[in-house]
Amino acid sequence: MPSRAMTELMGVAQRCLLFVAPLLLLLAAWQVTTSMGYVRPLFLPPPGSVAEQFLALLQAGEILEQLAISLYRAFAGLAIATAVGVATGLMMARISWVNWICDPLISFVYPAPKIVFIPLFILYFGMDHLSKILLVALTCVFPMIIATHQGASTVSRTLVWSAESMGTSERRLLSRVILPASMPAILTGVRITMPAALITAFTCEMVAGGGGLGAALVFAQRFFETPTVFVYILVMLMTGLVLDLALLRLRNVLLPWHEQDKEL
Amino acid sequence: MVSIRVRGVDKFYRARQGAVQALAGVELSVDSGEFVSLVGPSGCGKSTLLYIIGGFIAADCGSIEINGREVRGPGLDRGVVFQEYALFPWLTIQQNVAYGLEARGLSREERRATAARFVDMVGLQGFENHYPRELSGGMKQRVALARTLAYDPAILLLDEPFGALDAQTRESMQDEMLRIWLSTRKTVLMITHDVTEAVYLSQRVLVMSGRPGHIVEEFRINIDRSVTREVTMLSDDFNRVRNDIWLSVRRQLAPGAV
Amino acid sequence: MNTSFAANLPLLPAWVNGRARRLIRALPIAMLLVLWEVLVVSGLIDRTFLPPAHAVILAFWDMLVHGELLAHLWATVFTAFVGLGVAVVLGVFLGALMATNRWVNGLVGPLVATTYSLPKTSLVPLFILWFGIGDVTNGLTVVLGCLLPILVSTHHGVSSVPAVLVWSARAMGTPQYAMLRRVLLPAATASILSGVRIALGYCFVLVISAEMIATKLGIGKLIFLYGENGAYAYMLGGILAVVVIAFVADRSLVMITRRLLYWHDSMELRGAHA
Repeated sequence: MPSRAMTELMGVAQRCLLFVAPLLLLLAAWQVTTSMGYVRPLFLPPPGSVAEQFLALLQAGEILEQLAISLYRAFAGLAIATAVGVATGLMMARISWVNWICDPLISFVYPAPKIVFIPLFILYFGMDHLSKILLVALTCVFPMIIATHQGASTVSRTLVWSAESMGTSERRLLSRVILPASMPAILTGVRITMPAALITAFTCEMVAGGGGLGAALVFAQRFFETPTVFVYILVMLMTGLVLDLALLRLRNVLLPWHEQDKEL
Repeated sequence: MVSIRVRGVDKFYRARQGAVQALAGVELSVDSGEFVSLVGPSGCGKSTLLYIIGGFIAADCGSIEINGREVRGPGLDRGVVFQEYALFPWLTIQQNVAYGLEARGLSREERRATAARFVDMVGLQGFENHYPRELSGGMKQRVALARTLAYDPAILLLDEPFGALDAQTRESMQDEMLRIWLSTRKTVLMITHDVTEAVYLSQRVLVMSGRPGHIVEEFRINIDRSVTREVTMLSDDFNRVRNDIWLSVRRQLAPGAV
Repeated sequence: MNTSFAANLPLLPAWVNGRARRLIRALPIAMLLVLWEVLVVSGLIDRTFLPPAHAVILAFWDMLVHGELLAHLWATVFTAFVGLGVAVVLGVFLGALMATNRWVNGLVGPLVATTYSLPKTSLVPLFILWFGIGDVTNGLTVVLGCLLPILVSTHHGVSSVPAVLVWSARAMGTPQYAMLRRVLLPAATASILSGVRIALGYCFVLVISAEMIATKLGIGKLIFLYGENGAYAYMLGGILAVVVIAFVADRSLVMITRRLLYWHDSMELRGAHA
């Protein structure tokens, strides 16, 4: 009879296999289509040549270099957005005139696709990093404000009252109660905003050039290097997946006290 | 000596259809060292009254005095225990209990020692470094009680403190509360909708009317607190006054609301 | 003393009625416009970098009357909405199927999970290779980008319908084949609509990004053209048009949602903060 640990292990293996199976199926279909010669390699290169190109680009340092540029832009923008967003969100939740000023402006601009501002940002901040970082920041600042405001304005009143009755002043309330109580909402905000930061960085690069994965992708398409196009799309996909997982881990480390909510 | 004095307190809430009156001319006083409970139909404004005495919300009319001084906001002289515990989820049990000691100006070492003593007192030694989410409801309410007792307020304001607990836990918490009150003799004002609980714990029970709330009846409870729960609760004295209060609360319900 | 914790608008007297309230709420936007105008006209900000507000509004008007803006805007909005429409139909269908059928879930689930975090704009170069520059590429990008949030929210909505609801319906004689239409989809409406709202935001981003990468017609293209020619007032006019359209579309969806979900107790879809 297999031990309990063994059964558990087999359960995990089975789930992994079930998860991977459809992906493998897709890969097989891709391989069959290309090797039967139904489509020209210019449209759909065989998986083998994509893998080859991936290794070649990796060895040349091309992938990591472009990835580093894109990640730098995404994270610098996200960092600015988080700092500005948390400060604004907290003030909106605590000071009514700040809320009065900011609320309509946010409601008005929030639904807009921020990418339309890229020509303007290029005009002001140039073709290089700064315009892209700031556009990422513009995209991400709205969800960060909203997440923080939501978190800070729904802190249970009994929590605030408890602190007040134990002698916490209005000024200290922000750092002792409101900010820690809003922390889960803020971190959730960062987590749902991070993909937007990545996407915006990639898209800016695709639209405006200036290095990075997005620019490299469009460049490859212009020269009909289809395998390279696939390589960069796959790298973008992996980047998103890895960062999402990493942030989930980070959150559990940062907030040991928080009730874990179910992940999708 | 009078500890809490409430005079002519009115309170209105703004609602969509205009103002709703929650409290109408509430008068009450609690002597120092006395345990008083406030019972009444749900929605009668008893929690509102407690929040006003706590200084968290303002009355529209009337005055609240604590030891002869007008209430202007929350203060360290009044400790509050809420039904939903209101523990800081990002602090450990130890840190939660030590929180109120900071404003008392105690040193780090003194805070640690005092917090440890009160964690012991509510029987939670060994849980000092746990977070609130790892505790059961009853344990959380013990922490909340310890946190409030630790900074030694003269007055305890209890807002349906055991309302969220299951029946057995509630009884053991009531016994705990009684023990603590008998040994500290703090002034206690407790809001509850559990008439049995009110009679079991208090020296005086006030009955509030339906909305707009005001005090309609007062019962003195003279029962021997030195005997066990079983003896108390099976005694005729206890049941007689309990039934009287229960009927009094029933009379406050609007005819159709039963 | 801090009575109401959630920040409110400054207290207004009771006689200020609904319309006046809304005007007071929108006042900061007007204040921002005035500030912009004053800063530029007074010369604190260089006019060549930021045209004054009135010039942008005049440019906007000029483009509108001469029909130039409308043709481009129409191309963009048409692609965005057709793409979104297709995505809604496909997404709700597939999402509901996934939630009710183990096999479909096993097959599609992993694909969705792995491709969810792919920036959909990265497909534009690939689609250009496959379908050339134009509507097909832009439309497909929108469909694929909007599909996933709708699919995921439908799946989530349908599969989190409480079992007691389904059991009650069964007990009252609802046959299994009608369960989806009678119980599951209505119960999942809130979740589906929140997915549609996310997708509505995406559809504009995707179509405009695609247009900026390569296209013949569309507002994204127009904005870029004006930028390259140094007609900054016109460029800002175009940006303004997009912001307004996205705002109006979002508001309309919120209003429709409120109509459809008048029975829902989490009617928290108010404002931009839902």
